[in-house]
Amino acid sequence: MAIDHKQILATTLAARLGRRRLLQGAAATAAAGLPAVARSADGGHIKLAWIDFVDTLDPHFTSYLGAIKIHNNIYNGLLKVEYDGEKVSFVPDLAESWTLLDDKTHLFKLRKGVKFHDGEICDAEAVKWSVERVWRGTPKSPHAWKYDYLESVEVVDPLTVKLNFKNPYAFLPVALTGSTGRAGTIVPRNAVEKYGKDFGRNPVGTGPFKFVSWKENDSIVLEKNPDYFEPGLPKLERATYLIMKEASSAVAAMLAGRVDAMGNSPLQFISQLKANPNLTVYSDIEGNYSLMAMNCRRAPFDDMNVRRAVGFAIDREALIKQAFFGIGIPAYTPISPPMTGFFDKNIAKSGRGQFFDLEKAKAFRAKAKTQGTIEAVILTSEQGQYGTRVAQTIVPMLDKIGIKARLELVERAAWISRRNAGEFDMLDMTWSADLDPDETIFPEWHSGNAWNFSGWSSPEFDKLVEQAQVVLDVKTRRDLYVKAEDILMDEAPMAILTHMPEFKILSKKVKGFKYIPVDSLDLHTVSL
Amino acid sequence: MLRWTLAKILQTAAVLLIVSAASFSLLKLAPGDPVELMLGDDYSKESHQTLMVQLGLDRPLPEQYVDWLGRFVRGDWGTSFVSRTPIFQYAFVEALPVTLTLSAAALGLALLIGVPLGVLSAVRKDSAWDAAAAAFSLTGSAFPSFYLGILLIWIFGVAFGLFPTMGFVAPWQDFWGGAYHLVLPAITLSTPFMALIVRITRANLVEVLEQPYIAAARARGEPAWRITWVHGMRNVLMPLATIVGLQLGALLHGAVLTETVFSLPGVGRMITDAVLNREYMVVQAGVMMTGCLVIFTNLAVDLSYPLLDPRLRPR
Repeated sequence: MAIDHKQILATTLAARLGRRRLLQGAAATAAAGLPAVARSADGGHIKLAWIDFVDTLDPHFTSYLGAIKIHNNIYNGLLKVEYDGEKVSFVPDLAESWTLLDDKTHLFKLRKGVKFHDGEICDAEAVKWSVERVWRGTPKSPHAWKYDYLESVEVVDPLTVKLNFKNPYAFLPVALTGSTGRAGTIVPRNAVEKYGKDFGRNPVGTGPFKFVSWKENDSIVLEKNPDYFEPGLPKLERATYLIMKEASSAVAAMLAGRVDAMGNSPLQFISQLKANPNLTVYSDIEGNYSLMAMNCRRAPFDDMNVRRAVGFAIDREALIKQAFFGIGIPAYTPISPPMTGFFDKNIAKSGRGQFFDLEKAKAFRAKAKTQGTIEAVILTSEQGQYGTRVAQTIVPMLDKIGIKARLELVERAAWISRRNAGEFDMLDMTWSADLDPDETIFPEWHSGNAWNFSGWSSPEFDKLVEQAQVVLDVKTRRDLYVKAEDILMDEAPMAILTHMPEFKILSKKVKGFKYIPVDSLDLHTVSL
Repeated sequence: MLRWTLAKILQTAAVLLIVSAASFSLLKLAPGDPVELMLGDDYSKESHQTLMVQLGLDRPLPEQYVDWLGRFVRGDWGTSFVSRTPIFQYAFVEALPVTLTLSAAALGLALLIGVPLGVLSAVRKDSAWDAAAAAFSLTGSAFPSFYLGILLIWIFGVAFGLFPTMGFVAPWQDFWGGAYHLVLPAITLSTPFMALIVRITRANLVEVLEQPYIAAARARGEPAWRITWVHGMRNVLMPLATIVGLQLGALLHGAVLTETVFSLPGVGRMITDAVLNREYMVVQAGVMMTGCLVIFTNLAVDLSYPLLDPRLRPR
């Protein structure tokens, strides 16, 4: 059985690897064949309007998407994400090859001659040190849990490193990518030890761009790394992230052509940006879901039938129109469209998950312990893409099943504090996850996990998602997740709402951008 | 005179102390917890406790206050736990000059346009000029600065592409570049203030021009410009100086919005960010700086009275 899994993974990988090598070879020949004059046309200085919060440029310690989109241009992971327009796949990045010796042992052959921006060599020792920093370093990395099943890291020779796991670990490819996983991003020991806590403000990586400066509330500047290991890359000389708080100003700058790209945009500006002929707006549905969490620890939502009623009472189409400016798709379960192999394209017709069905909602409501009017408070905050709009739109929908909801608007700090303490009836939020179902389901809903704000617990669900972590075969995993999701959606610690696009807005002047449906904005191949 | 000046300065110091205590305690009493914000999704009871101790937030409030004040006076403003940079560098060296430049440009613009406009409408009382200036000052003071800012961005930045819509270029490094970048923000910030100056100048000058000594000057055959600008304006300077002092606070709070709209890395944006992130130390530094600015300007205004009006000179 185990052999099968390994083979499946290995064949898929080999197929992708082969193709990629070929492409790379072709690119290298083309570059070599070009006269020097043509190559000197490369270069340019890209300016990006950045409205998302950037906490740190230390990839092992961030939890903000706005920061991760920058990290990817400074660092590399052992693996990276590739996208062919339909499917996402994981291919070696700092590694030259990735082999599974058996389903618990991963062997990485590293590229030769890769150097960090400060000159330190990126070899097997560096990789080992970096992995161990995440795995069991102090202070503890928020991504440490991604190595929970790791047993040891071995340096086989200066360019070969072996990761030994206690059991097969399906989430590993995602964990090891430089972009979204962060646990496999490689940082240099000397620089980390030199800067200590300030490393996040003085980042050093192996990536296509070197860090130049970070001026608070103003800008983050990167410049070309001339020694980057991918031949001919990067093409840009410089990249400046202009930190802007006010989104309408950023949109104005984008429309006026004063910046070349935006890493994100509020929903209300999307139609305006899309209408501009000078801009390209990428807006694929990504790995995420919005939800209305219900507090299972206390009345009224300790009653499963009340929660189920809420799950079926929300008209997702109307919600998308009113609260999301028509952008997004209804979610039936947490697994999102880019999770290739797991997402069911026909889920709308499958009858699985939660959806709008007022009759069903009323039937569940009739079974609830409390009849008559139930009062509930939705804790909400003016934050993120949706602010208070989701909560506002849902109130009249709940009214139809006899739940009188009242909004309590607090500011972000108070919202987080009360969410963590479990002091709420309902609250709306979103989860962004990587390309694997594990991160979209396990940390959020497994019993006792710190992210399980609803306080829900189901031993059966726990068992299924634990099992799904240690199985490699996609089909077997999918079956496990289907069962787990069915329990989750039926017991309804949340009403699931929508899957949403992430936006990347680029000026048409920007050439060579490779779109990947994850939270990255890679400038490797970009030129102006 | 010396004693009077000293007394004023002592009063100022007392006010500063009150400001510091208030800013320190108010934020601590607000709901929400900086440690939880910092931990984000990585929240757990243990990590929370560890970080509290690391940041010294587990100690009693008065102890934290005294400790902070002592170090603040010595220029050790601590390290921002979000940006990991020394707060003194960030707040005083980087952010303050931006806000000062913006405020100075706005103040200069307001005076440069507001005073002549006020004089014009006072001298040509009840003329079309007067009506136009009144309409302008009413509209100007009614316009919220964030709205005006966005409007200016859309008209001059996007539609006509005449001026940059964001960013700060230090005028002491590149004067024209800096001025070019400051045009829209300075107009935005100065408009309500300019409107106020027009009204104050007009009201006071109208009153002054009806005084007998002005009639006497006219009878002596002095030229009209001399009557208005020398004899008349001299008595308008006092209320103008008062207004500048009093309105500096409003100017600084307008700067918060203006800096946000135009993405200028000034004190206003620094404070808003820090409040949202519960960065106590940065908010305190920001409040202290702006507090000092307002208090010292008012001290300067107080001290200028005897110079502007001989009757107020203490004997």
